[in-house]
Amino acid sequence: MQKMINLTLLVSLLVGTLSCFKSEGDGSKKTLNMVITAKVKGMDPIYANDRYSNNEIARVYEGLLEYHYLKRPYELIPNLADGMPKVSADGRVYTFKIKKGVLFQNDVAFPAGKGRELVAEDFVYSLKRLADPKLQSLGWWVIDGKIKGLNEWRKKYADLPKVDYGEEVEGLKVIDRYTLQFTLSKNFPQFLYALAMPFTYVVAKEVVDKYGKEFLNHPVGTGAFVLPRFEQSNKIVYTRNPTFRKKLFPSDASPEFKKLGYLQDAGKPLPLLDKLIVNIIIESQPRWLNFQKGKVDYIGIPKDNFDSAVIPGKGLADDLSKLGITLNITPSLDVTYVAFNHDNKLFDNIALRRAMSMVYDVERGNKLFYNGTALAAQSVVPPGIAGNVNGYVNPYRGPNINLAKKLLAEAGYPNGKGLPTITYDTASSTVSRQQGEFFKKQMEQIGVKIKVVTNPWPEFQRKITNRTVMIYGIAWGADYPDAENFLQLLYGPNRSPGANGSGFNHQTFNQLYKSASIMQDTPERTALYEKMNRMAAELVPWIFGVHRQSYVLFHGWLKNYIQSDFDAGVAQYLDVDLEKKKELRAGM
Amino acid sequence: MNIYSYTFRRLLYVIPVVLGVSLIIFVLFNLVAGDPTAILLGKHASASQMAELRHELGLDRPWLAQYFDVVRSAFTFDFGRSWSTKQEIFEMIKAGAIPSLTLSFPAFFLSTVLAIIVSLFVSFYRGGVVDRLVVFVCVALMSISSLAYILFGQWFLAYYLGLFEISGYESGFPYFIPYVLLPIIIWMVLSVGPDVRFYRTVVLDEIYQDYVRTARSKGLSERVILFKHVLKNAMIPIITYVLIKIPFLILGALLLESFFSIPGLGSITLNAINGSDFPVIKAMTILSSIAYILFSVFTDVMYCLVDPRVRLK
Repeated sequence: MQKMINLTLLVSLLVGTLSCFKSEGDGSKKTLNMVITAKVKGMDPIYANDRYSNNEIARVYEGLLEYHYLKRPYELIPNLADGMPKVSADGRVYTFKIKKGVLFQNDVAFPAGKGRELVAEDFVYSLKRLADPKLQSLGWWVIDGKIKGLNEWRKKYADLPKVDYGEEVEGLKVIDRYTLQFTLSKNFPQFLYALAMPFTYVVAKEVVDKYGKEFLNHPVGTGAFVLPRFEQSNKIVYTRNPTFRKKLFPSDASPEFKKLGYLQDAGKPLPLLDKLIVNIIIESQPRWLNFQKGKVDYIGIPKDNFDSAVIPGKGLADDLSKLGITLNITPSLDVTYVAFNHDNKLFDNIALRRAMSMVYDVERGNKLFYNGTALAAQSVVPPGIAGNVNGYVNPYRGPNINLAKKLLAEAGYPNGKGLPTITYDTASSTVSRQQGEFFKKQMEQIGVKIKVVTNPWPEFQRKITNRTVMIYGIAWGADYPDAENFLQLLYGPNRSPGANGSGFNHQTFNQLYKSASIMQDTPERTALYEKMNRMAAELVPWIFGVHRQSYVLFHGWLKNYIQSDFDAGVAQYLDVDLEKKKELRAGM
Repeated sequence: MNIYSYTFRRLLYVIPVVLGVSLIIFVLFNLVAGDPTAILLGKHASASQMAELRHELGLDRPWLAQYFDVVRSAFTFDFGRSWSTKQEIFEMIKAGAIPSLTLSFPAFFLSTVLAIIVSLFVSFYRGGVVDRLVVFVCVALMSISSLAYILFGQWFLAYYLGLFEISGYESGFPYFIPYVLLPIIIWMVLSVGPDVRFYRTVVLDEIYQDYVRTARSKGLSERVILFKHVLKNAMIPIITYVLIKIPFLILGALLLESFFSIPGLGSITLNAINGSDFPVIKAMTILSSIAYILFSVFTDVMYCLVDPRVRLK
């Protein structure tokens, strides 16, 4: 017995001693502990095609423009640009002045290891990198066909062994050390959004040359945080950039943020944090437990923990409120939908499409798959951007089984008679499969037979691209806050492998899109967007699903947190109240 | 045949096996799986960009040339770069091997030692209450899903009692230790059931042999019989069982690494599968098959060393 007691004591002592090796970090420094749910693809801006890589890159690198942190609707403001650009009368020439005295972070790639000043030439180099055919950037689509001479430059070097960055491109001009001019090959009002995307962030040629293929592991930008070397691990640790320029916390905000006191730090130099730790936790349980223990400062509520965190009609659960946790609900700029393959003659029948839309119970799906938190989509453009028609109700939004049956009969398939079994393709995840089964059940109510086919993601994408599907369930998230980014999904010439996977092709819609896509942001353009949005609802190219909302919890010590669809670079505005953290964590 | 020439001859078998594995991998990934460019380029892929990428990845070259690339990478260990992260695959594997081993090696060693001791112990009390109770516990442990142990361990032991870290990993000794303690315990709980049942059967097979009866009639104690005679004679199946598991240790524990955020080879493999990162999947498949062959050879050599009756041919 004594041996057992001794052994137990020994094990307890060992566990206790080993616990001392936990690296809790320096408590006197303002450290933000974040969590992300997927691996980061590296730190090269031209490959930042997912949200995780986007955000990591934006901690170190910057672009000409950024979104105002405290304004909604989203508003573009200068970042490395010294003011917004001068735009020519025809809307094709954009002239930017860039800020003087901005330094690249210190790195051995520069003489004496000291980062040099940013100049206009760096932007030309960075955009040519984005277009370099040898690098196969994932962001080429942002400027594809937009900048005069750039496509020709890209094409010329596609089959040559080496790309000459010295060769001048007509649309990319350095006017002087601090002045830059872009000439577009056609009107593209969304061009400014492209300059706020991490794909177009500025890199230094010396650093790219020094590290070659390993450049993606050696991020050296002009941003607020420094990461000496990126490693594929479970944690990324950034520190404050000691040579960061004087950039201040905004002094202006939208009324709702002013009211909530978000201007308390107005005028303070950025970043407000000393250190930023990004934890990569793929599974939801450890993410949730770490948040509850106060080891993570904010978190999107995992689906399985939603019911314990949010009480319907009441908000945040009491046990979480007591810990000083706040719930933030923000609509996302996205849309989920079930698309018809318009190459399939069966779906030329608009009454069939309308019948299927009319029987689908979107609210029930919302409850089942989004805990009732999403908004039913009336058409393609989500609320929050121009083009969404406030209060508009899709005339074919169900469920109305009688009307759906009537429409199906009109389509020539009374009670589904004569209609072949329709295959519904989806990804192979559990939720996607469940959504497929739910859709099947809905359609059964009017006699439409559905066969759910689950596919590994690559196969699913391949089937959509080759349009070997009949109908499929998918979602789209905004690349930038402009309805054009959603309406392009239904523009005929954009059919897959472009973004229009369903192959919808409607002459009037195409003409309207073509006209709107070259217009500046004016009431006339908004009117066109709204018209197209209504048309999309009435023509039922898809069965519209929902616009999701993000539910984020954050601890009482985290200051200035705002959920954003375009959150690249937002960490510089966040702050941690160390006293409050100590006090609140004591109760966890 | 001496041990060196036998080992050399067995190692030569690696060549046809690697060629065969390369062929299977090539057929699966290049011919069956189809074109990966749409996935790699994402939602904005254009037809021309897909064609350019296909060219850049060499997917438009003749099949034979592409197959030769797979074979070359198997022999040179130059697996190129990950399609998803653009990292050197060999560097990724090197970086992931240590976190994997810091979890799997101690867990495997401890669970094996524990299982052998328990199986000898229950063999000593074979047929009795203790034996039946241990077998019952083993079956019960095996009947519960590994996910249940992980979720419960993380919630109860790490979150509720605060005895361990919930998840995470720190590089370097001894900083990684607090992060691997709980996964090691869960690994042991998961493997002790089947291991004890296997070793118990092996020991019981031996315990009814003539030499054991002889030893008993000579008056040797049961402890000496078990540890000195029975264990030694049971070594061949034990060695087979242990050594053949080692290649899988190197490859990491998929679920444990994923739930505990340990950046090992298991999580690299899982990530590659989720992201259709074929070069990484190819590399891991080739390496695991080579490791499997090498440990098979090692197992045969060990037979010879532990049992003089075994002859190498």
